[in-house]
Amino acid sequence: MNVTPLARRPLSCLKTSLLRQAREQKMFSRSLATEVQAVAAAATSKTPSQGPDQNFYRLVDKKTKSVRSAFALYPPPLAAAGKPLSPPSTTNPVAALHDLQIKKLDPTGARTALFARTREAAKVGDILLVTHRRGGEPFAGVCLSIRRAGIDTAVLLRNHIGKVGVEMWFKIYNRNVAGIEIVKRRLKRARRARLTYMRKPKHDMGSVAEFVSAWRKSRRVFQTKGAKGKAAGQGGQGGKKKK
Amino acid sequence: MIQLKSMLNCIDNSGAAIVECAMVIGQKRHASIGDRIVVVVQKQRDAGAAGMAAASGAKVKRGDIRHAVVVRTKQKVTRRDGSCIKFDDNACVLINKSGDPIGSRINGVVGMELRKKKWSRILSMAPSQA
Repeated sequence: MNVTPLARRPLSCLKTSLLRQAREQKMFSRSLATEVQAVAAAATSKTPSQGPDQNFYRLVDKKTKSVRSAFALYPPPLAAAGKPLSPPSTTNPVAALHDLQIKKLDPTGARTALFARTREAAKVGDILLVTHRRGGEPFAGVCLSIRRAGIDTAVLLRNHIGKVGVEMWFKIYNRNVAGIEIVKRRLKRARRARLTYMRKPKHDMGSVAEFVSAWRKSRRVFQTKGAKGKAAGQGGQGGKKKK
Repeated sequence: MIQLKSMLNCIDNSGAAIVECAMVIGQKRHASIGDRIVVVVQKQRDAGAAGMAAASGAKVKRGDIRHAVVVRTKQKVTRRDGSCIKFDDNACVLINKSGDPIGSRINGVVGMELRKKKWSRILSMAPSQA
């Protein structure tokens, strides 16, 4: 089919054949160049400091028979900057923060001591009296539970005010809580951590007003003996806190 | 957590004893202390229990639809300083459309949240606040 045009235009045929030959040669040389480059790169890929940009997807090097994964190895950033990496600190940062905040809000340690796990501390079942700094009547009640949670430590008090049961949670490290005092201790240690059964009518203590008034009366006796004023309030029963 | 069909105690001397919530006014959520609700009087305070105030001059009757302010909830209410308060019952005080209490006395403790919600009339009538 191509014979007639070739015969008619011999020069053009020569030109095309030359061009084709040159193109093939060019293709051949290009592929040779890539092959050489690839080998050189594979030889250097054994060092771990090499970046991922070269030979990223080349798996097996034929000369060294080493398998190179597609996941590049990076040096640790701090070590690269010339500084040694320090191991992570062993102290719990949250606990450290709680300690710091408690130290700030309770410098004397009285609040911590009042609800620590000691003999003298307030326990579940005791009658506590909480006074607010922002006015309002002091709230007294049976301690139903103590939620120990660092700076968020809180107590649940229950009382009856005019035939209606009232329960209040107080954060013990709150600055608005001026003081927490033990009005009356439970005779026997409670055998539960949370006395939620005291909400039931069978176990409900009712109002603790008479205990509080009796405690106030006993404190007044101490006040008349000692110095007058607020300082005398320290002479009452144990587990007292002012700050 | 006062919502539709919640039954509340009425603690004023308007003559109602138990009311049922019919609507929470001004919000789509449940009502808490200090929120205004619409109630239906379900039970009247009978003459013997309430004394002379409700003997003949009960201001509301069974079936009346009134506005009320929630003053106590069983649901815990958290305050800004982290303390919580929780009562053993749900209670309310009846008011008229302009916001004045219908009764002249309140017997029972009310929540301190009323102060923030500007119900000072009710707070001053209450014998104790918590």
